[in-house]
Amino acid sequence: MVSSTTQGLHGDDVDFESTWTTLASSFKEIHTKNASKLSYEELYRHAYRIVLKKKGEVLYGRVRDFEKEWLSQTVAASIQGLVTGSLRSGAHGSAAVTTANERREAGWRFLKGLKEAWQDHQLCMSMLADVLMYMDRVYCTDHRRPSIFITAMNLFRDCILLSKSSSEADSLTILAILNGIILDQIQMERDGDIIDKHLIKSCVYMLEGLYEADQEVEEQRLYVTSFETDFLNASREFYRKEGEFLLRESDAGAYCRHTQRRITEEQDRCRSTLSETTTPKIEQVVEDELVRNKLRELIEMESGVRHMIDNDRSADLRLMYILNSKVDPLKKELTSAIQQRIKEMGAEINAAAIAASQAQPAPAADAEGDKPKAPGDRALSQQTVAALKWVEDVLNLKDKYDSFWKFSFDSDQGMQKAISSSFTDFINSATFTRSSEYISLFIDENMKKGIKGKTETEVDQVLEKAIILLQYVQDKDMFERYYKKHLCRRLLMNKSLSNDVEKQMISRMKVEQGNNFTLKLEAMFKDMTISEELTTGFKGHVAKLGDADAARAELAINVLTSMTWPLETMGSSGDNEESRKMRCIFPPAIERIKKSFEKYYSDKHSGRQLTWLANMGSADLRATFPKVQTKEGIKERKHELNVSTYAMVILLLFNDIPASQSITFEEIQAKTNIPTSDLVRNLQSLAVAPKTRILIKEPMSKDVKPTDRFSFNEGFSGKFHKIKVGVVTAGNKVETDKERQSTEEKNNESRGFCIDAAVVRIMKQRKELTHQQLVTETLSQLATQFKPDINMIKKKIESLIEREYLERIDEAKVPSYRYLA
Amino acid sequence: MVVKKHDLEAALYAEKQDINAGRLKDDNPLDLSETFRVFCEACRRGDLKVCQEKITEGVNINARDRFDYTPLILASLCGHFEVVQLLLESGALCERDTFQGERCLYNALNDRIRNLLLSYDYSKSTDPLQPLAAHITSLLTREHPKTSDVALVTADKTFHLHKFVLSARSPYFAKKLAANPDSTSFKLANTVPPQSFEVAVRYLYLQEVAADLGDGEEEQAVLTGIDKLSRQLEIDRLFESILEGGDRRLARQRRTEEVNRGRDQLHTWFQQNVLRHKITVATSKADSVRWDRNNGVFADVLLRADEDADEEEDEAERPAPPTVRQTSGPLNGIPIGPMSYPSRSPSRTRSSRKSVLFPAHRAMLLRSEFFSTMFSSSFREAQSTLYLQIIPIDCSPAVLEVVLTYLYTEKADFGLSIAIDVLHAADMLFIEKLKARAAVIISTLGNGGASVVEAENPRGETDIEEVVDIYDVVRAGWDTRVHRLEEFGARYIAYRLERFIDEEDFAELVRESANRIQARQETDTVELVDDIRYYLSERFRLRFEDAGLDEMMDESPEPHLQPSDPGYIDTCDEGSEGELYAADMEQMLAGGAVRTLDGEVAGDEFTQDAINYQILLGKIDRLLDRLRLDA
Repeated sequence: MVSSTTQGLHGDDVDFESTWTTLASSFKEIHTKNASKLSYEELYRHAYRIVLKKKGEVLYGRVRDFEKEWLSQTVAASIQGLVTGSLRSGAHGSAAVTTANERREAGWRFLKGLKEAWQDHQLCMSMLADVLMYMDRVYCTDHRRPSIFITAMNLFRDCILLSKSSSEADSLTILAILNGIILDQIQMERDGDIIDKHLIKSCVYMLEGLYEADQEVEEQRLYVTSFETDFLNASREFYRKEGEFLLRESDAGAYCRHTQRRITEEQDRCRSTLSETTTPKIEQVVEDELVRNKLRELIEMESGVRHMIDNDRSADLRLMYILNSKVDPLKKELTSAIQQRIKEMGAEINAAAIAASQAQPAPAADAEGDKPKAPGDRALSQQTVAALKWVEDVLNLKDKYDSFWKFSFDSDQGMQKAISSSFTDFINSATFTRSSEYISLFIDENMKKGIKGKTETEVDQVLEKAIILLQYVQDKDMFERYYKKHLCRRLLMNKSLSNDVEKQMISRMKVEQGNNFTLKLEAMFKDMTISEELTTGFKGHVAKLGDADAARAELAINVLTSMTWPLETMGSSGDNEESRKMRCIFPPAIERIKKSFEKYYSDKHSGRQLTWLANMGSADLRATFPKVQTKEGIKERKHELNVSTYAMVILLLFNDIPASQSITFEEIQAKTNIPTSDLVRNLQSLAVAPKTRILIKEPMSKDVKPTDRFSFNEGFSGKFHKIKVGVVTAGNKVETDKERQSTEEKNNESRGFCIDAAVVRIMKQRKELTHQQLVTETLSQLATQFKPDINMIKKKIESLIEREYLERIDEAKVPSYRYLA
Repeated sequence: MVVKKHDLEAALYAEKQDINAGRLKDDNPLDLSETFRVFCEACRRGDLKVCQEKITEGVNINARDRFDYTPLILASLCGHFEVVQLLLESGALCERDTFQGERCLYNALNDRIRNLLLSYDYSKSTDPLQPLAAHITSLLTREHPKTSDVALVTADKTFHLHKFVLSARSPYFAKKLAANPDSTSFKLANTVPPQSFEVAVRYLYLQEVAADLGDGEEEQAVLTGIDKLSRQLEIDRLFESILEGGDRRLARQRRTEEVNRGRDQLHTWFQQNVLRHKITVATSKADSVRWDRNNGVFADVLLRADEDADEEEDEAERPAPPTVRQTSGPLNGIPIGPMSYPSRSPSRTRSSRKSVLFPAHRAMLLRSEFFSTMFSSSFREAQSTLYLQIIPIDCSPAVLEVVLTYLYTEKADFGLSIAIDVLHAADMLFIEKLKARAAVIISTLGNGGASVVEAENPRGETDIEEVVDIYDVVRAGWDTRVHRLEEFGARYIAYRLERFIDEEDFAELVRESANRIQARQETDTVELVDDIRYYLSERFRLRFEDAGLDEMMDESPEPHLQPSDPGYIDTCDEGSEGELYAADMEQMLAGGAVRTLDGEVAGDEFTQDAINYQILLGKIDRLLDRLRLDA
């Protein structure tokens, strides 16, 4: 039965044993580093033959047993010898027993010993694997065994790392001690000691190369399963304590800096000492313990965000921002802290503005600039100063946060939104209603004075600031109303410094707010241009008529479209409708021109009606005063007087009477039909104001009474050839409360129309809608113009129902409306 | 997938033009020699053995006959899968986008062959010498283990080179080294730009030299340098090949030529130096041979192979007729068994035993993973000693010579007699290609005199002479994990099953096969038996199909499977061509059974075949039954 063939292949048991003995003794030589004498060929040949004789299995087993024995007897003993008492206690965590130095020394020795054992093992096993190459290739592949090298590495894990550190039954495993030592060393490094990173890294490499089970699964590396968990737990504990300590002992800026440093440290540590794969995990731990769990306390610390903002600690804020964004991409905590601070500061500014506008004028306010001439103006200019101050404060605040935003918050989108919304909130806060007016005033002020002598870029900046503020304003229609009023005054009274700048402003607003917003403003400019053309046209027309009359007055005219211009605001305060409509009786010469222009105009535009607003015009008069003795000698004095139209009418009266004669107030009024208040103010400026006292009033007093008599002041003298006679106006500054009321009323009125229009538009489109939906849609439609009052919408709906645009749907569960075509 | 006809014609015309103009070398030159005619004939008939023999003789495998047929086209047209495979493995080209390639694909008899052809497209079949060239090139950059023995110092760079490569490739270096074999560094003219040196060195190391050499003056300088060097080093082809531009195919041809030249140079050098300097000494004295490190052939290691007395004795016995099978006594085919101990067990060594020492170069030995591990390790062999280390290799000198020839030159032509030994040696030394080559030789030549196509020989006739011990072959196939040999063995046995079925050795082989599978726990069938059954059916299939007897086959098995029914044996007796088989039967069975009946003798050969088939299947089943019981 047994042929010689099988004998050759199988029968040789004795030979196997002797061959194995040879191999085993050679392996021992390899382990004791005497390999250089061994012949690779011989060893390979032995192993090759054994495998060829189908003894691969036995050989594999023998080699494994050999390695096991070698490791658990020779190597394990030497490793155990390195475990000293201090290490054992160190691993238990009672650090106080030994000094740090001793522990470090002992730990270093242990790590070094273990590392050397591991490297020796790897080296020897790679030599063994070389010798057993044929077995690996043939036997292990065929029988799906792990290669002998891998098996031997696993043996190292089982026989060394997982073995007990001493003979005591409950002693720790070598692996636990190793972990303890590495953790201890890392702790030392955190405390500022210097450790042998290289050595630890080699040990970490070892743990990374070994697996929990015999299968090589990435997540099952000993490093992950054993060391990393311990490391993360220990670090978590450490950072929790450190965080608490720091919150107690240091300020927020230092805390942020410290945290930042810790994170960098841990990253470095992972790179140089541990494994890169740990980096995200340990970062997570540090962030959790030092940032996420402490963030609120940190922000609310005395030296927290508020302190940083107030003291412009942008670097600290930046750190805070970085930390917050690490744990929360939305940065909620920091954002809300910032928002709150903005609102607080905004409220302070609002309060300051209100206080300033109500307080008695402080002397400082006078020194600051526009000196009010009349005591009555004081309160008004007080408001103006408050307005300018407010705008400036808001802009400063904005600048401050903008610079934080840029430098500290990485120009973060969400943060920008949050900041904007906070600004919007306080600018439109219910307790402060004057923002629209203040902004318009700010522009007005700049248009009239501020931009004088400024370069284009500076002007641009001013405009930009105004636009920025405008963005925050919700009630755009209010602003429009104020702006129109201020613009109207600037245009008609020629107070604007530069038409270009005005137009720039308009176009900017157009970009920001859309066409609708600037429609009327542009129309105002258009009117001005057309008027200029009209004036020249009329001049030409008159010249063509040919009757060159030297005494003929020249006419410059502004034809204003009545709907576009807020003319009512131009009138003097306190005028009622009746007095406004009173027609002023012009002197005949003037009346002639007026007629002639009316004819000219109606030829050009038929069907248009011209209403003369004498209260808004002005006139240049050439007045000749009798010769009077002066220092320079006797001469006739000629002055060019720039006066309001009313004043001109009054002065022309005196052409018709002798210089010595006087006429009474009532006579003047009867002859001119000027409204009383206007007449009073004009007479005041002609007869009371010291520099322009062209008329003499009897009796001399400041007030003008109906019984006063006036005569021409022949002795008048002025320093200049041209004299401007200012009219005591109602002031173009901040409104008085009364005015405000009327403005608001008007505003509400126009808002009412807007709401009406919006509601009808919506209902026309949707036919039927519930009340709630209708309100929401209306709000959203009007959002660009203003923020309507809900009650007002309700009222408007009611009135629309009354006017039979809508009807209530009776059968609906929730209140609903239907559109009536 | 397939190129349009008019495209093919246009391409063919263009190619012809190029060839006539001498711009292109014909891939398929006309060959009217007698050898080639025989080769083509073998391809037509599917005669593996003749094909292998002719290839070994060196016939141009890619030539064409006077009908414009290449051997590959013939084999694929006639549907001989094994021949196609052999041709492709031996370097026959079947490239898409060439006329002959497309023709070959188009002509393939069936999809199996077509897919085989496609899988051997240019990228794979290209140049059988590529591995050799790549290895030599890699020597330039390989740092560990250190193999270089000479430094070429130029102005700003030092090349670490190998004397034997320089000597083989450059006549200039050959002369210089012959005059001064132990010089360790060369210095060449400083005036030549370093790039030129680099190109020259890369050329010497069989790397493809790039035509891109920078531009303008720089290129001019480099070219001048190369020109100078190629004259100085007497490697005039270098300069020419750099100047020649050309398209992809031309470049490839040139490259193939260049590598071939390089190989031939190495081959010549190898024969004149390594082989010529091998020493034959008595085994007992082999270890005391001292070779100085500085020697004329620049060897840095000695390989020792011991001649085996038993081997020679065994070979002497080989011609014995197979009918008298040597079931006892050592089998020559398992080389390790008988050869492994002589060196260690002196009792079996004869006094006249000789050992052969081959001087060799580590640089080339590295191609074997065994040697590369050895020289990279820290064992004794890797150390540098005063005298050359002698490394014994566990095989006969002849085998070692084959191995060395392969490592140095990529040539692997050897006889069947040592093929199994080579197979084992290649397996031990991890030289996969040589292993495959040995398997090819065994499986193509192993059929012995029965060279004709096996399908034509259903009755298992074989020549008297057996050239190979099939049991050895199968076992060697298992040991070295060459599936091709298992298949070959199963096929071989199937076609001669009458002869083997009753041998005890065969039963043992089946048992081994069963054990192998048990160990692998893959299936519960016996692989060898499955294969034999498959080839058995193939052996008889054509006959049945021709006779339309399939139906009969389907119906008849039941009665025939009666194991103890002796009636069918008689039918064999009747068969005019079944004498050998009958003789076996007679030996095996008790003589009385044969004589019992002859009444139901089958009328024709077909019936006889059918019955024989059933008898053989039945015997296999019985054998399995018996083995199972035994086990």
